[in-house]
Amino acid sequence: MNRKHHIPKIPHAFFKWYCKRERYEELHGDLEEFYYERVAEKGMMKARLYYLWDVICCCQPYAWKKPKSQTNSNIIMFRNYFKTSRRSLMKSPLSSFINIFGLAAVIGVCVYVYSFAQWIYSIDQFHEHKNEVYLATFFADRDGTVKQNGKTPRPLGKMLREDFTHIKKVCRIEDGNVVLKYEDKVFHEKMRYADPEFLEMFTFPLKWGSPSSLADMNSIILSEDMSIKYFGEENPLDRDIQVIFGENNSKTFTIAGVAKAFPDACSIDFDFLINFKNWQVADPSYDMDDWSAFVDATLIQVADPTDLFPIEQEMEKYKILQNKAEDDWAIDSFAFEQLATLYEKGGDIRGDIAGNGFGSNYRAVVIISIITLMMLAMACFNYINIAIVSAAKRLKEIGLRKVVGASRKMVITQFLAENIFITSFALVFGFILGITIIIPWFERILDVDFSFSLLDKNFLIFMVSTLLFTGIASGMYPAFYISKFRVVGILKGSVKFGKKNPLTKVFLTFQLILACILISTAVMFTQNTAYLNDRSWGYNQGAALYAQVSDQSAYERLYAAMTQNPNVLSISGSSHHLGRSNTTTVVDVPDRQYEVQQLSVDANYFETMGVTLIDGRTFIDHHKSDKQAVVVNETLVENMALDKPIGQQFKIDSVDYEVIGVVKDFHLYSFNETIQPTLFKVANRKDYRYLSMKVNNGSEREVYKSLLNKWLALFPEIPFQGGYQEDVWGGYFEEIDTHAVVWNRIAIMAMLLVGLGLYGLVTLNVAGRTREFSIRKVLGAALKNIASNIISQYVILFAIALFIGGPISYFLVEWFFDFVYPYHVPMNSLGVVIAVTSLISLLLLVVSTQMRKVSKSNPVDGLKVE
Amino acid sequence: MSRIHLGEFEEIVLLTVGVLYDDAYAVAITKEITKQSGRSVNVSAVHKSLYRLEKKGMLDSRLGDPESKRGGKRKRLFSITPFGKKALDESMELRMSLRTQIPELAFKWQMG
Repeated sequence: MNRKHHIPKIPHAFFKWYCKRERYEELHGDLEEFYYERVAEKGMMKARLYYLWDVICCCQPYAWKKPKSQTNSNIIMFRNYFKTSRRSLMKSPLSSFINIFGLAAVIGVCVYVYSFAQWIYSIDQFHEHKNEVYLATFFADRDGTVKQNGKTPRPLGKMLREDFTHIKKVCRIEDGNVVLKYEDKVFHEKMRYADPEFLEMFTFPLKWGSPSSLADMNSIILSEDMSIKYFGEENPLDRDIQVIFGENNSKTFTIAGVAKAFPDACSIDFDFLINFKNWQVADPSYDMDDWSAFVDATLIQVADPTDLFPIEQEMEKYKILQNKAEDDWAIDSFAFEQLATLYEKGGDIRGDIAGNGFGSNYRAVVIISIITLMMLAMACFNYINIAIVSAAKRLKEIGLRKVVGASRKMVITQFLAENIFITSFALVFGFILGITIIIPWFERILDVDFSFSLLDKNFLIFMVSTLLFTGIASGMYPAFYISKFRVVGILKGSVKFGKKNPLTKVFLTFQLILACILISTAVMFTQNTAYLNDRSWGYNQGAALYAQVSDQSAYERLYAAMTQNPNVLSISGSSHHLGRSNTTTVVDVPDRQYEVQQLSVDANYFETMGVTLIDGRTFIDHHKSDKQAVVVNETLVENMALDKPIGQQFKIDSVDYEVIGVVKDFHLYSFNETIQPTLFKVANRKDYRYLSMKVNNGSEREVYKSLLNKWLALFPEIPFQGGYQEDVWGGYFEEIDTHAVVWNRIAIMAMLLVGLGLYGLVTLNVAGRTREFSIRKVLGAALKNIASNIISQYVILFAIALFIGGPISYFLVEWFFDFVYPYHVPMNSLGVVIAVTSLISLLLLVVSTQMRKVSKSNPVDGLKVE
Repeated sequence: MSRIHLGEFEEIVLLTVGVLYDDAYAVAITKEITKQSGRSVNVSAVHKSLYRLEKKGMLDSRLGDPESKRGGKRKRLFSITPFGKKALDESMELRMSLRTQIPELAFKWQMG
């Protein structure tokens, strides 16, 4: 036959594998005859498919090889293993429960870890063009280190579009705050200004309307959430909505589209979308061709990722253009970041649109995986210990099996099979536990939907590998250990084991160390929560209120209204506000540049917010003489290594400034962020955007109420934004609390696992020594003698475990906290002490339950055995 | 039960083997059934019935000659045994006798 028409290889191999030799010729002849006919009739492709289908159809008993006699007996043996393992499960319900429950709990956690990791890595992966869309970024040297930035010079997008034929689409994005008004609904909203290509580059299908409407200057596209917020379930297409960019600057847009609900695994989305050119309506002074100003994001789309290379080669000329325009903020190079991996890299790119949630999520995945592995180890150790100790009961069975001809290999197979059987039980329970309890619980805490799916191929692979790994890891040692005994020894009764296996002790020690680590971490987290709740913010956040105002005149009117309130002690205006906003600026000293955080405030601000001055003075006259003065924080002094900070001169934007005062360090944002070098400048009166107030202690509520009333009277059109200074960190403290809760549960689970293991061991130990204890009792031993007899077995073990585990936990916890929190409770040994005490009391508790049993039992029953 | 059991599809296969007489092998039988009854049949179903019928003793088989259209493989040719004929006859007889026992009234439907 023609070589081209040869039979498809893989199905053919499969057929050969299952087909019995004596029928192969006739059967395959039939299939081949059909195949060649179909090649002639229907073409190669179809014939191959039909052939595959035939091979599958023929896979039936009439064609199968007869199992060889050995395989046959293997099947019978497996059936027997299944029976014995079911019996041994039923015979000792306690150890079975410990094994299955322990493994199930841990597997439940595994399911959660998997779904969490899967969720993190699925973020932004739903975009159709994720491999062709790139974000333009640049590298620049700030503060001595080169950092990647997600913003781009304004004209770059336009020039890229004109200069490269490889680039199919370009989209610039700007974000701004606006007020939206529809009938009586007025809200502050985030507006995304984007080029019409936005909806083509990102995969955001619309529920209503057409994506092409973004090209229209007067169209607006809403997200589903926003559509519900303003219009409920109605279809809002073609309705008009007013967008207020600023005072006396508003424009009416027609709703031309509503997006379908965004997937949860999404880092780039929008609330409202309008054409990019509207940015010039919002800000008439906006200059599209200004190289020294930046746009929030510029994205390009190429036909194929390989097209990017020639573009990257050409970026040098833009760098020259850029550096000519802004020579004190020189950039090193441009780079493009693929959308598919943008979220993962977000942590290293400053100010990119995907945000930098990945770093913390990734850390969380790593930490949780490590913990899960620890727990898995604990559950496996429990299993191994109990298997070794209870093997004594099954010695006769093994002896008999060997006598009737079982090889050592078969005994090992038996134990491993048994183990996988138990593990699959645990797997089912664990799985149910995972999806019904653990995942919903974490979803509630993290407020996301993991969109966890059972049909995920990877998940099935994950589950099967968990099953095999756990089954084999925990079954390997007992299987080898038990199978090595000699038949004669077993049957003569001269083999004694289980009671003094050194490995049991090693495992128990190891478990205790792990538990010690987990418990002390949990204690530290609880302590840390209390500590951070009390930690000073570096200023007086308690008796302060703030409000965001739209401009100077609004500020002045609100100022006039609030200043009459007797409870208000001081009022100040500023362009930025602690915990709310600031800008970043570059400080020039001869031969070096520093990037610092900057807040523009008035002279009252320090007094109002309670920022503590430690050297020099604050602003006195914010109208004139202090215009070129700055107040800095301690970190700035330290970073710039200023010996005499007061009087130090430097340049900002080529203007000379002089340091007049140093304030104590304060937390600009939450404790999650390290304190940055920060300076205060005098704010221009026309740039006032915040009004902050210091009020009498205890009158915060009252003043807040009157602030709201005054606001409503003055600006009925504008929604109020502001509140208690204490609330500016948003959900930070809830988050910290969550950490503590999560760790406490982990610690409880660890305790439970150790407890179960210990209980199993001690119970089996006591059960094995029933006769010994009965004799002791008959001879007059008091209960406490017997108790000390049991305990003494474990004392040395505990001593060693805690002696090693204590210091290890201490240093691990210290390292861990330094890794997770920039600011945390100072290290102390309370956690370790609590861990050690609770483990010791656990031992005592377990022993005492067994002692009760021994004391109640009648020694005669114990001696009557056999 | 003295009667020999014969499934519906088995019966068709058995009949087709008879029809094809000298060239009754799986591929030809499959095609013949498809042609005559119009139902699409996979060759594996025919295989299954053929081997079962052979086991029951209703069919006999021998290997033919190698053919190039079969990639140089031989085919198994089947033929009906006397026992197979008996089974067919009995099955036919049973059907006919049942058919004749249906009273004519059963076919008089009230129209409308």
